[in-house]
Amino acid sequence: MGKEMTLDVLSSIKGAEASQVIEDLFEVIKKGHLTDGNNNIAHTINAVTIDDLRADEVINSSEIERNLIIENFPNEKNNFLVVPKVIEE
Amino acid sequence: MSSSIKALHKKLINKEVSCVDLVQEKLDQLKSSDYNTDNYILNDYAINLAKKVDTKIANGETINLLEGIPFGVKDVYLLQGTYSSASSDFLKKYKSPYTATAIQKLLDAGAIPIVKENCDSFGHGSSSENTVFGAVKNALDPSKVAGGSSGGSAVNVAKNFTTFSIGGDTGGSIRQPAGYNNVYGLKPTYGKISRFGLMAYASSTDCVGPIAQSLEDTQIVLNTMAGKDYRDQTSFSSEPVSDESITSALAKGTKIGYYKNFIESEAISPEIKAGFENMIAKLKAEGMEIIPLDFFDANMLVSTYYALAMAETASNLARLDGTNYGVRETGKDLKEGYSITRSENFTAETKRRIVGGNQVLSQGHSEEIYNKAQQLRQQISHHFDEDFKKVAIVLSPVTPNPVPKIGNNLKDPMTMYLSDAYTVGFSLGGLPTLTAPLAMETGVQITAAKKQEAILFTCANFLKQVL
Repeated sequence: MGKEMTLDVLSSIKGAEASQVIEDLFEVIKKGHLTDGNNNIAHTINAVTIDDLRADEVINSSEIERNLIIENFPNEKNNFLVVPKVIEE
Repeated sequence: MSSSIKALHKKLINKEVSCVDLVQEKLDQLKSSDYNTDNYILNDYAINLAKKVDTKIANGETINLLEGIPFGVKDVYLLQGTYSSASSDFLKKYKSPYTATAIQKLLDAGAIPIVKENCDSFGHGSSSENTVFGAVKNALDPSKVAGGSSGGSAVNVAKNFTTFSIGGDTGGSIRQPAGYNNVYGLKPTYGKISRFGLMAYASSTDCVGPIAQSLEDTQIVLNTMAGKDYRDQTSFSSEPVSDESITSALAKGTKIGYYKNFIESEAISPEIKAGFENMIAKLKAEGMEIIPLDFFDANMLVSTYYALAMAETASNLARLDGTNYGVRETGKDLKEGYSITRSENFTAETKRRIVGGNQVLSQGHSEEIYNKAQQLRQQISHHFDEDFKKVAIVLSPVTPNPVPKIGNNLKDPMTMYLSDAYTVGFSLGGLPTLTAPLAMETGVQITAAKKQEAILFTCANFLKQVL
Protein backbone atom coordinates (compact mmCIF):
# COMPACT_ATOMS: atom_id res chain seq x y z
CA MET A 1 0.00 0.00 0.00
CA GLY A 2 1.08 3.55 -0.52
CA LYS A 3 3.01 2.60 -3.64
CA GLU A 4 2.07 5.02 -6.39
CA MET A 5 0.69 3.29 -9.48
CA THR A 6 1.30 4.95 -12.78
CA LEU A 7 -1.41 5.28 -15.42
CA ASP A 8 0.09 2.61 -17.66
CA VAL A 9 -0.03 0.12 -14.76
CA LEU A 10 -3.53 1.16 -13.68
CA SER A 11 -4.80 0.86 -17.25
CA SER A 12 -2.64 -2.11 -18.36
CA ILE A 13 -1.88 -0.10 -21.47
CA LYS A 14 1.69 0.41 -22.59
CA GLY A 15 2.93 4.00 -22.51
CA ALA A 16 -0.36 5.33 -21.12
CA GLU A 17 -0.03 8.89 -19.90
CA ALA A 18 -2.26 11.87 -19.20
CA SER A 19 -3.42 13.62 -22.35
CA GLN A 20 -4.03 17.33 -22.75
CA VAL A 21 -7.61 16.87 -23.92
CA ILE A 22 -8.49 15.02 -20.71
CA GLU A 23 -6.67 17.62 -18.62
CA ASP A 24 -8.76 20.30 -20.34
CA LEU A 25 -11.98 18.51 -19.37
CA PHE A 26 -10.77 18.26 -15.77
CA GLU A 27 -9.92 21.95 -15.60
CA VAL A 28 -13.55 22.80 -16.34
CA ILE A 29 -14.70 20.61 -13.45
CA LYS A 30 -12.15 22.09 -11.07
CA LYS A 31 -13.51 25.56 -11.83
CA GLY A 32 -17.14 24.45 -11.51
CA HIS A 33 -19.23 26.06 -8.77
CA LEU A 34 -21.27 23.87 -6.48
CA THR A 35 -24.32 26.04 -5.95
CA ASP A 36 -26.47 23.49 -4.17
CA GLY A 37 -25.88 23.02 -0.45
CA ASN A 38 -26.63 19.31 -0.75
CA ASN A 39 -23.39 17.76 -1.93
CA ASN A 40 -24.03 14.32 -0.55
CA ILE A 41 -22.91 11.89 -3.23
CA ALA A 42 -24.07 8.92 -1.20
CA HIS A 43 -27.48 9.56 -2.74
CA THR A 44 -26.30 8.17 -6.05
CA ILE A 45 -28.47 8.64 -9.10
CA ASN A 46 -29.39 5.60 -11.17
CA ALA A 47 -28.33 3.03 -8.62
CA VAL A 48 -30.22 0.47 -6.58
CA THR A 49 -30.37 1.11 -2.85
CA ILE A 50 -29.06 -1.63 -0.58
CA ASP A 51 -32.56 -2.28 0.78
CA ASP A 52 -33.80 -3.02 -2.74
CA LEU A 53 -31.05 -5.44 -3.69
CA ARG A 54 -32.23 -8.99 -4.17
CA ALA A 55 -30.27 -11.84 -2.67
CA ASP A 56 -27.67 -13.53 -4.82
CA GLU A 57 -28.87 -16.67 -6.50
CA VAL A 58 -27.05 -19.37 -8.40
CA ILE A 59 -28.62 -20.08 -11.79
CA ASN A 60 -27.01 -22.79 -13.86
CA SER A 61 -26.13 -21.92 -17.44
CA SER A 62 -27.73 -23.87 -20.25
CA GLU A 63 -25.62 -26.39 -22.13
CA ILE A 64 -25.49 -24.18 -25.22
CA GLU A 65 -24.30 -21.26 -23.06
CA ARG A 66 -21.57 -23.39 -21.45
CA ASN A 67 -20.42 -24.59 -24.86
CA LEU A 68 -20.23 -21.03 -26.19
CA ILE A 69 -18.25 -19.93 -23.13
CA ILE A 70 -15.78 -22.76 -23.81
CA GLU A 71 -15.68 -21.83 -27.51
CA ASN A 72 -14.67 -18.32 -26.47
CA PHE A 73 -11.70 -19.47 -24.37
CA PRO A 74 -8.56 -17.85 -25.79
CA ASN A 75 -6.67 -21.06 -24.94
CA GLU A 76 -8.42 -24.34 -24.18
CA LYS A 77 -7.40 -27.89 -23.32
CA ASN A 78 -9.86 -30.74 -22.77
CA ASN A 79 -12.70 -28.24 -22.29
CA PHE A 80 -10.78 -26.41 -19.57
CA LEU A 81 -9.56 -22.83 -19.77
CA VAL A 82 -5.79 -22.61 -19.94
CA VAL A 83 -4.82 -19.59 -17.86
CA PRO A 84 -1.69 -17.54 -18.39
CA LYS A 85 1.14 -17.83 -15.88
CA VAL A 86 0.10 -16.88 -12.35
CA ILE A 87 1.56 -13.79 -10.72
CA GLU A 88 4.79 -14.73 -9.01
CA GLU A 89 5.33 -11.51 -7.05
CA MET B 1 -50.15 4.25 -42.92
CA SER B 2 -46.87 5.68 -41.58
CA SER B 3 -45.87 2.57 -39.66
CA SER B 4 -43.54 0.38 -41.73
CA ILE B 5 -44.10 -2.44 -39.24
CA LYS B 6 -47.88 -2.36 -39.72
CA ALA B 7 -47.53 -2.07 -43.51
CA LEU B 8 -45.20 -5.08 -43.68
CA HIS B 9 -47.39 -7.06 -41.29
CA LYS B 10 -50.34 -6.47 -43.58
CA LYS B 11 -48.35 -7.59 -46.62
CA LEU B 12 -47.26 -10.76 -44.83
CA ILE B 13 -50.73 -11.81 -43.68
CA ASN B 14 -52.21 -10.97 -47.11
CA LYS B 15 -49.46 -13.12 -48.66
CA GLU B 16 -48.37 -10.22 -50.88
CA VAL B 17 -44.79 -11.10 -49.91
CA SER B 18 -43.27 -14.11 -48.20
CA CYS B 19 -41.21 -13.56 -45.08
CA VAL B 20 -38.22 -15.27 -46.71
CA ASP B 21 -38.39 -12.88 -49.69
CA LEU B 22 -38.77 -9.89 -47.40
CA VAL B 23 -35.77 -10.88 -45.28
CA GLN B 24 -33.69 -11.89 -48.30
CA GLU B 25 -34.29 -8.51 -49.94
CA LYS B 26 -32.94 -6.73 -46.85
CA LEU B 27 -29.97 -9.10 -46.60
CA ASP B 28 -29.12 -8.45 -50.25
CA GLN B 29 -29.33 -4.70 -49.73
CA LEU B 30 -26.94 -4.96 -46.79
CA LYS B 31 -24.51 -7.16 -48.73
CA SER B 32 -24.36 -4.80 -51.71
CA SER B 33 -24.19 -1.62 -49.60
CA ASP B 34 -20.93 0.33 -49.22
CA TYR B 35 -22.12 2.39 -46.25
CA ASN B 36 -20.15 0.15 -43.80
CA THR B 37 -23.21 -0.38 -41.63
CA ASP B 38 -22.77 -4.09 -41.02
CA ASN B 39 -20.21 -5.93 -38.89
CA TYR B 40 -21.92 -9.31 -39.34
CA ILE B 41 -24.84 -10.15 -41.62
CA LEU B 42 -26.95 -12.89 -40.03
CA ASN B 43 -27.90 -14.61 -43.27
CA ASP B 44 -28.67 -18.22 -42.25
CA TYR B 45 -29.94 -17.22 -38.81
CA ALA B 46 -32.47 -14.79 -40.32
CA ILE B 47 -33.59 -17.03 -43.19
CA ASN B 48 -34.26 -19.93 -40.79
CA LEU B 49 -36.51 -17.71 -38.69
CA ALA B 50 -38.24 -16.35 -41.80
CA LYS B 51 -39.04 -19.87 -43.00
CA LYS B 52 -40.80 -20.58 -39.69
CA VAL B 53 -42.94 -17.47 -40.11
CA ASP B 54 -43.89 -18.50 -43.66
CA THR B 55 -44.86 -21.95 -42.38
CA LYS B 56 -47.15 -20.40 -39.77
CA ILE B 57 -48.80 -18.18 -42.37
CA ALA B 58 -49.20 -21.12 -44.76
CA ASN B 59 -50.84 -23.11 -41.96
CA GLY B 60 -53.33 -20.32 -41.36
CA GLU B 61 -51.93 -19.45 -37.95
CA THR B 62 -52.13 -15.91 -36.60
CA ILE B 63 -48.87 -14.01 -36.47
CA ASN B 64 -47.96 -11.17 -34.11
CA LEU B 65 -47.45 -7.62 -35.34
CA LEU B 66 -43.65 -7.92 -35.10
CA GLU B 67 -43.50 -11.49 -36.40
CA GLY B 68 -41.26 -11.69 -39.46
CA ILE B 69 -40.19 -8.03 -39.29
CA PRO B 70 -36.44 -7.67 -40.04
CA PHE B 71 -34.44 -5.51 -37.65
CA GLY B 72 -30.86 -4.52 -36.88
CA VAL B 73 -28.89 -4.81 -33.67
CA LYS B 74 -26.02 -2.52 -32.70
CA ASP B 75 -22.96 -4.71 -32.29
CA VAL B 76 -22.76 -4.16 -28.56
CA TYR B 77 -25.72 -6.43 -27.77
CA LEU B 78 -25.38 -10.14 -27.18
CA LEU B 79 -27.38 -12.47 -29.41
CA GLN B 80 -26.70 -16.08 -28.53
CA GLY B 81 -24.43 -17.90 -30.98
CA THR B 82 -23.60 -14.81 -33.07
CA TYR B 83 -20.49 -12.65 -33.03
CA SER B 84 -20.57 -9.54 -30.83
CA SER B 85 -17.46 -7.47 -31.40
CA ALA B 86 -18.29 -3.99 -30.06
CA SER B 87 -16.54 -2.96 -33.31
CA SER B 88 -13.21 -3.90 -31.74
CA ASP B 89 -10.32 -6.21 -32.66
CA PHE B 90 -10.50 -7.45 -29.09
CA LEU B 91 -13.85 -9.20 -29.54
CA LYS B 92 -13.90 -9.75 -33.29
CA LYS B 93 -14.28 -13.51 -32.82
CA TYR B 94 -16.30 -13.42 -29.60
CA LYS B 95 -19.55 -15.36 -29.77
CA SER B 96 -22.42 -14.30 -27.53
CA PRO B 97 -23.11 -17.02 -24.96
CA TYR B 98 -26.59 -15.63 -24.24
CA THR B 99 -29.03 -13.03 -25.54
CA ALA B 100 -29.67 -9.53 -24.19
CA THR B 101 -33.09 -9.16 -22.55
CA ALA B 102 -34.23 -6.37 -24.90
CA ILE B 103 -33.30 -8.42 -27.98
CA GLN B 104 -34.86 -11.57 -26.50
CA LYS B 105 -38.16 -9.72 -26.07
CA LEU B 106 -38.11 -8.81 -29.76
CA LEU B 107 -37.27 -12.41 -30.67
CA ASP B 108 -40.14 -13.60 -28.47
CA ALA B 109 -42.43 -11.23 -30.38
CA GLY B 110 -41.23 -12.83 -33.62
CA ALA B 111 -39.03 -10.05 -35.02
CA ILE B 112 -36.01 -11.25 -37.01
CA PRO B 113 -32.49 -9.87 -36.39
CA ILE B 114 -30.66 -9.67 -39.71
CA VAL B 115 -27.48 -7.72 -38.93
CA LYS B 116 -25.05 -6.81 -36.16
CA GLU B 117 -24.44 -3.13 -36.85
CA ASN B 118 -21.25 -1.10 -37.03
CA CYS B 119 -20.75 1.51 -34.31
CA ASP B 120 -18.01 3.32 -32.43
CA SER B 121 -15.94 0.75 -30.58
CA PHE B 122 -17.53 0.06 -27.16
CA GLY B 123 -19.72 3.12 -27.81
CA HIS B 124 -16.68 5.40 -27.61
CA GLY B 125 -17.40 8.06 -30.19
CA SER B 126 -19.85 10.44 -31.79
CA SER B 127 -19.25 9.69 -35.46
CA SER B 128 -18.93 5.89 -35.96
CA GLU B 129 -15.38 6.39 -37.18
CA ASN B 130 -13.81 4.78 -34.11
CA THR B 131 -14.41 1.27 -35.44
CA VAL B 132 -12.23 -1.48 -36.86
CA PHE B 133 -14.87 -2.17 -39.55
CA GLY B 134 -14.39 1.17 -41.36
CA ALA B 135 -16.18 4.49 -40.86
CA VAL B 136 -19.95 4.35 -41.36
CA LYS B 137 -21.12 6.72 -44.10
CA ASN B 138 -24.04 9.09 -43.65
CA ALA B 139 -27.27 7.96 -45.33
CA LEU B 140 -27.95 11.39 -46.86
CA ASP B 141 -24.38 12.32 -47.86
CA PRO B 142 -21.76 9.53 -47.84
CA SER B 143 -18.92 12.05 -47.52
CA LYS B 144 -20.25 12.91 -44.06
CA VAL B 145 -20.20 10.94 -40.81
CA ALA B 146 -23.11 8.77 -39.72
CA GLY B 147 -22.98 10.08 -36.18
CA GLY B 148 -22.38 7.85 -33.24
CA SER B 149 -22.02 5.73 -31.58
CA SER B 150 -25.09 3.93 -33.07
CA GLY B 151 -24.20 5.13 -36.60
CA GLY B 152 -24.68 1.81 -38.43
CA SER B 153 -28.12 1.42 -36.85
CA ALA B 154 -29.32 4.89 -37.86
CA VAL B 155 -28.04 4.54 -41.43
CA ASN B 156 -29.62 1.10 -41.85
CA VAL B 157 -33.00 2.52 -40.83
CA ALA B 158 -32.60 5.61 -43.02
CA LYS B 159 -31.66 3.47 -46.04
CA ASN B 160 -34.48 1.02 -45.23
CA PHE B 161 -32.01 -1.86 -44.92
CA THR B 162 -33.72 -2.62 -41.59
CA THR B 163 -37.31 -1.84 -40.60
CA PHE B 164 -36.00 -0.65 -37.24
CA SER B 165 -32.78 -0.98 -35.31
CA ILE B 166 -31.81 -1.19 -31.68
CA GLY B 167 -29.20 1.35 -30.65
CA GLY B 168 -27.58 2.15 -27.34
CA ASP B 169 -27.39 5.65 -25.86
CA THR B 170 -24.95 6.65 -23.12
CA GLY B 171 -24.47 10.36 -23.88
CA GLY B 172 -26.41 10.81 -27.13
CA SER B 173 -25.50 7.71 -29.12
CA ILE B 174 -29.04 7.07 -30.37
CA ARG B 175 -30.30 10.66 -30.58
CA GLN B 176 -27.36 12.17 -32.47
CA PRO B 177 -27.03 9.58 -35.27
CA ALA B 178 -30.83 9.58 -35.62
CA GLY B 179 -30.63 13.35 -36.14
CA TYR B 180 -27.71 13.04 -38.55
CA ASN B 181 -29.63 10.55 -40.72
CA ASN B 182 -33.12 12.02 -40.55
CA VAL B 183 -34.88 9.29 -38.57
CA TYR B 184 -36.44 8.97 -35.10
CA GLY B 185 -34.32 7.83 -32.17
CA LEU B 186 -35.47 7.42 -28.58
CA LYS B 187 -33.43 7.30 -25.39
CA PRO B 188 -36.01 6.19 -22.81
CA THR B 189 -35.93 6.98 -19.12
CA TYR B 190 -32.94 5.24 -17.54
CA GLY B 191 -34.12 1.79 -16.45
CA LYS B 192 -37.23 1.56 -18.65
CA ILE B 193 -35.52 -1.11 -20.77
CA SER B 194 -33.19 -3.72 -19.27
CA ARG B 195 -29.47 -3.31 -19.95
CA PHE B 196 -28.78 -7.02 -19.42
CA GLY B 197 -26.71 -8.25 -22.35
CA LEU B 198 -25.63 -4.78 -23.46
CA MET B 199 -21.86 -4.42 -23.22
CA ALA B 200 -21.45 -1.77 -20.55
CA TYR B 201 -19.87 1.58 -21.40
CA ALA B 202 -21.01 3.86 -18.56
CA SER B 203 -23.48 1.82 -16.55
CA SER B 204 -25.15 4.77 -14.83
CA THR B 205 -26.27 6.35 -18.12
CA ASP B 206 -26.37 3.42 -20.59
CA CYS B 207 -29.83 3.09 -22.18
CA VAL B 208 -31.34 0.75 -24.77
CA GLY B 209 -33.59 2.36 -27.37
CA PRO B 210 -35.21 2.10 -30.80
CA ILE B 211 -34.32 3.88 -34.03
CA ALA B 212 -37.12 3.91 -36.62
CA GLN B 213 -38.61 5.81 -39.54
CA SER B 214 -41.84 6.70 -37.76
CA LEU B 215 -43.23 7.53 -34.34
CA GLU B 216 -45.56 4.54 -34.59
CA ASP B 217 -42.70 2.09 -35.11
CA THR B 218 -40.70 3.72 -32.32
CA GLN B 219 -43.67 3.24 -29.99
CA ILE B 220 -44.24 -0.41 -30.98
CA VAL B 221 -40.62 -1.34 -30.41
CA LEU B 222 -40.35 0.64 -27.17
CA ASN B 223 -43.42 -1.06 -25.72
CA THR B 224 -42.08 -4.48 -26.70
CA MET B 225 -38.70 -4.01 -25.01
CA ALA B 226 -39.75 -2.09 -21.87
CA GLY B 227 -40.23 -3.65 -18.46
CA LYS B 228 -38.61 -4.80 -15.26
CA ASP B 229 -35.98 -7.50 -15.63
CA TYR B 230 -34.77 -9.83 -12.92
CA ARG B 231 -31.27 -9.52 -14.41
CA ASP B 232 -31.09 -5.70 -14.28
CA GLN B 233 -32.03 -4.34 -10.90
CA THR B 234 -32.10 -0.75 -12.15
CA SER B 235 -34.97 -1.63 -14.52
CA PHE B 236 -38.57 -0.85 -13.62
CA SER B 237 -42.11 -1.74 -14.69
CA SER B 238 -43.95 0.81 -16.76
CA GLU B 239 -47.19 1.36 -18.61
CA PRO B 240 -46.98 1.05 -22.39
CA VAL B 241 -47.11 4.25 -24.43
CA SER B 242 -50.65 4.25 -25.86
CA ASP B 243 -51.69 4.77 -29.49
CA GLU B 244 -53.58 7.85 -28.32
CA SER B 245 -50.32 9.37 -27.11
CA ILE B 246 -49.35 9.75 -30.73
CA THR B 247 -52.67 10.83 -32.19
CA SER B 248 -53.96 13.15 -29.44
CA ALA B 249 -53.42 16.88 -29.86
CA LEU B 250 -50.92 18.80 -27.78
CA ALA B 251 -53.13 21.04 -25.65
CA LYS B 252 -53.05 24.75 -26.45
CA GLY B 253 -51.12 26.58 -23.78
CA THR B 254 -48.80 23.64 -23.08
CA LYS B 255 -45.72 24.98 -21.34
CA ILE B 256 -42.67 24.32 -23.49
CA GLY B 257 -39.22 25.25 -22.26
CA TYR B 258 -35.87 25.70 -23.93
CA TYR B 259 -32.40 26.40 -22.60
CA LYS B 260 -31.41 29.95 -23.45
CA ASN B 261 -27.68 29.30 -23.27
CA PHE B 262 -27.91 26.51 -25.86
CA ILE B 263 -29.42 28.92 -28.37
CA GLU B 264 -27.50 32.07 -27.43
CA SER B 265 -24.17 30.23 -27.47
CA GLU B 266 -21.46 31.41 -29.86
CA ALA B 267 -20.79 27.75 -30.68
CA ILE B 268 -24.15 27.15 -32.36
CA SER B 269 -24.25 27.37 -36.15
CA PRO B 270 -26.43 30.12 -37.68
CA GLU B 271 -28.51 27.51 -39.58
CA ILE B 272 -29.30 25.44 -36.48
CA LYS B 273 -30.10 28.59 -34.50
CA ALA B 274 -32.41 29.91 -37.21
CA GLY B 275 -34.17 26.55 -37.50
CA PHE B 276 -34.73 26.44 -33.75
CA GLU B 277 -36.02 30.02 -33.54
CA ASN B 278 -38.35 29.42 -36.46
CA MET B 279 -39.77 26.38 -34.66
CA ILE B 280 -40.30 28.36 -31.46
CA ALA B 281 -42.08 31.12 -33.41
CA LYS B 282 -44.45 28.58 -34.94
CA LEU B 283 -45.18 27.02 -31.56
CA LYS B 284 -46.02 30.46 -30.17
CA ALA B 285 -48.31 31.06 -33.13
CA GLU B 286 -50.05 27.76 -32.31
CA GLY B 287 -50.81 29.04 -28.82
CA MET B 288 -48.12 27.23 -26.86
CA GLU B 289 -46.54 28.96 -23.87
CA ILE B 290 -42.81 29.22 -24.47
CA ILE B 291 -40.62 29.51 -21.37
CA PRO B 292 -36.89 30.26 -21.69
CA LEU B 293 -34.88 28.47 -18.99
CA ASP B 294 -31.42 28.86 -17.51
CA PHE B 295 -29.09 25.88 -17.60
CA PHE B 296 -25.54 24.77 -17.00
CA ASP B 297 -22.77 25.87 -19.30
CA ALA B 298 -22.28 23.40 -22.18
CA ASN B 299 -18.58 22.93 -21.36
CA MET B 300 -19.51 22.00 -17.81
CA LEU B 301 -22.06 19.43 -19.00
CA VAL B 302 -19.57 17.86 -21.39
CA SER B 303 -16.77 17.77 -18.81
CA THR B 304 -18.98 16.32 -16.08
CA TYR B 305 -20.34 13.67 -18.41
CA TYR B 306 -16.97 12.64 -19.79
CA ALA B 307 -15.25 12.51 -16.41
CA LEU B 308 -17.92 10.14 -15.10
CA ALA B 309 -18.32 8.13 -18.31
CA MET B 310 -14.57 7.61 -18.60
CA ALA B 311 -14.33 6.53 -14.96
CA GLU B 312 -17.10 4.00 -15.52
CA THR B 313 -15.69 2.67 -18.78
CA ALA B 314 -12.24 2.26 -17.25
CA SER B 315 -13.87 0.03 -14.62
CA ASN B 316 -16.16 -1.81 -17.03
CA LEU B 317 -13.43 -2.60 -19.56
CA ALA B 318 -10.94 -3.73 -16.91
CA ARG B 319 -12.45 -7.20 -17.37
CA LEU B 320 -11.09 -7.35 -20.91
CA ASP B 321 -7.61 -8.75 -20.34
CA GLY B 322 -7.57 -11.81 -22.60
CA THR B 323 -7.97 -14.29 -19.76
CA ASN B 324 -11.45 -15.70 -20.28
CA TYR B 325 -12.47 -14.54 -23.76
CA GLY B 326 -11.40 -12.27 -26.58
CA VAL B 327 -7.89 -12.01 -27.93
CA ARG B 328 -4.98 -13.09 -25.71
CA GLU B 329 -1.43 -11.98 -26.44
CA THR B 330 1.39 -13.49 -24.41
CA GLY B 331 4.18 -11.63 -22.67
CA LYS B 332 7.12 -12.52 -20.43
CA ASP B 333 4.77 -12.53 -17.43
CA LEU B 334 1.06 -12.18 -16.72
CA LYS B 335 1.10 -8.39 -16.33
CA GLU B 336 2.93 -7.89 -19.58
CA GLY B 337 0.49 -10.26 -21.27
CA TYR B 338 -2.42 -8.10 -20.08
CA SER B 339 -0.65 -4.98 -21.19
CA ILE B 340 0.20 -6.22 -24.70
CA THR B 341 -3.30 -7.64 -25.13
CA ARG B 342 -4.99 -4.36 -24.20
CA SER B 343 -2.50 -2.10 -25.98
CA GLU B 344 -2.80 -3.93 -29.28
CA ASN B 345 -6.53 -4.62 -29.35
CA PHE B 346 -8.24 -1.45 -28.14
CA THR B 347 -8.55 1.51 -30.51
CA ALA B 348 -6.76 4.79 -29.75
CA GLU B 349 -10.00 6.49 -28.62
CA THR B 350 -10.94 3.60 -26.34
CA LYS B 351 -7.48 3.70 -24.79
CA ARG B 352 -7.78 7.47 -24.34
CA ARG B 353 -11.04 6.97 -22.42
CA ILE B 354 -9.73 4.11 -20.27
CA VAL B 355 -6.62 6.09 -19.36
CA GLY B 356 -8.72 9.22 -18.75
CA GLY B 357 -11.01 7.20 -16.49
CA ASN B 358 -8.13 5.86 -14.46
CA GLN B 359 -6.79 9.39 -14.23
CA VAL B 360 -10.15 10.50 -12.78
CA LEU B 361 -10.16 7.67 -10.27
CA SER B 362 -6.53 7.87 -9.25
CA GLN B 363 -5.30 9.22 -5.97
CA GLY B 364 -5.58 12.99 -5.74
CA HIS B 365 -7.93 13.31 -8.67
CA SER B 366 -10.75 11.23 -7.22
CA GLU B 367 -11.78 13.96 -4.75
CA GLU B 368 -11.03 16.90 -6.97
CA ILE B 369 -12.54 15.49 -10.16
CA TYR B 370 -14.64 12.38 -9.66
CA ASN B 371 -16.46 13.35 -6.48
CA LYS B 372 -16.98 16.88 -7.72
CA ALA B 373 -18.34 15.58 -11.01
CA GLN B 374 -20.80 13.42 -9.05
CA GLN B 375 -21.89 16.50 -7.09
CA LEU B 376 -22.31 18.46 -10.29
CA ARG B 377 -24.39 15.62 -11.68
CA GLN B 378 -26.66 15.84 -8.67
CA GLN B 379 -27.07 19.54 -9.24
CA ILE B 380 -27.92 18.96 -12.88
CA SER B 381 -30.49 16.36 -11.89
CA HIS B 382 -31.98 18.67 -9.27
CA HIS B 383 -32.12 21.45 -11.86
CA PHE B 384 -34.17 19.17 -14.16
CA ASP B 385 -36.57 18.38 -11.29
CA GLU B 386 -37.21 22.09 -10.84
CA ASP B 387 -37.49 22.77 -14.59
CA PHE B 388 -40.12 20.10 -15.09
CA LYS B 389 -42.25 21.71 -12.39
CA LYS B 390 -42.42 24.74 -14.70
CA VAL B 391 -42.72 23.08 -18.12
CA ALA B 392 -44.06 19.86 -19.63
CA ILE B 393 -41.43 19.59 -22.35
CA VAL B 394 -37.99 20.96 -23.08
CA LEU B 395 -36.99 21.40 -26.72
CA SER B 396 -33.41 21.71 -27.91
CA PRO B 397 -31.30 21.12 -30.98
CA VAL B 398 -29.66 17.69 -31.06
CA THR B 399 -26.27 19.18 -31.90
CA PRO B 400 -24.89 22.72 -32.09
CA ASN B 401 -23.51 22.18 -35.58
CA PRO B 402 -24.42 20.49 -38.86
CA VAL B 403 -23.15 17.00 -39.77
CA PRO B 404 -19.33 16.99 -40.16
CA LYS B 405 -17.31 15.39 -42.95
CA ILE B 406 -15.67 12.00 -42.38
CA GLY B 407 -12.11 12.32 -41.14
CA ASN B 408 -12.28 15.36 -38.87
CA ASN B 409 -13.57 13.99 -35.55
CA LEU B 410 -10.84 11.58 -34.50
CA LYS B 411 -8.15 14.16 -35.25
CA ASP B 412 -9.66 16.52 -32.70
CA PRO B 413 -11.23 14.65 -29.76
CA MET B 414 -12.28 17.84 -27.96
CA THR B 415 -14.39 18.93 -30.93
CA MET B 416 -16.02 15.50 -30.90
CA TYR B 417 -16.72 15.72 -27.16
CA LEU B 418 -18.20 19.21 -27.52
CA SER B 419 -20.52 18.00 -30.30
CA ASP B 420 -22.31 16.09 -27.51
CA ALA B 421 -23.00 19.30 -25.57
CA TYR B 422 -26.79 19.22 -26.08
CA THR B 423 -27.33 15.50 -25.41
CA VAL B 424 -25.16 14.59 -22.41
CA GLY B 425 -27.06 16.66 -19.84
CA PHE B 426 -30.27 14.68 -20.37
CA SER B 427 -28.26 11.46 -20.03
CA LEU B 428 -26.87 12.59 -16.68
CA GLY B 429 -30.45 13.29 -15.58
CA GLY B 430 -31.70 9.89 -16.79
CA LEU B 431 -34.51 11.65 -18.69
CA PRO B 432 -36.48 10.35 -21.68
CA THR B 433 -35.47 12.17 -24.85
CA LEU B 434 -36.63 11.71 -28.43
CA THR B 435 -34.92 12.92 -31.57
CA ALA B 436 -37.42 13.81 -34.28
CA PRO B 437 -36.10 14.57 -37.79
CA LEU B 438 -37.70 18.00 -37.87
CA ALA B 439 -36.94 21.74 -37.75
CA MET B 440 -33.12 21.56 -38.02
CA GLU B 441 -30.58 19.67 -40.12
CA THR B 442 -29.71 17.43 -37.18
CA GLY B 443 -33.24 17.26 -35.79
CA VAL B 444 -35.00 18.42 -32.66
CA GLN B 445 -34.60 16.88 -29.24
CA ILE B 446 -37.77 16.56 -27.17
CA THR B 447 -37.26 15.89 -23.47
CA ALA B 448 -39.70 15.27 -20.62
CA ALA B 449 -39.55 14.39 -16.93
CA LYS B 450 -38.63 10.82 -15.98
CA LYS B 451 -41.15 8.18 -17.08
CA GLN B 452 -43.11 10.70 -19.19
CA GLU B 453 -42.37 9.11 -22.57
CA ALA B 454 -45.97 9.53 -23.74
CA ILE B 455 -45.77 13.31 -24.07
CA LEU B 456 -42.65 12.99 -26.24
CA PHE B 457 -44.76 11.18 -28.84
CA THR B 458 -47.62 13.70 -28.57
CA CYS B 459 -45.23 16.60 -28.98
CA ALA B 460 -43.32 15.01 -31.88
CA ASN B 461 -46.55 14.32 -33.74
CA PHE B 462 -47.67 17.90 -33.15
CA LEU B 463 -44.35 19.28 -34.41
CA LYS B 464 -44.60 17.05 -37.48
CA GLN B 465 -47.93 18.65 -38.31
CA VAL B 466 -47.06 22.29 -37.71
CA LEU B 467 -43.50 22.49 -39.07
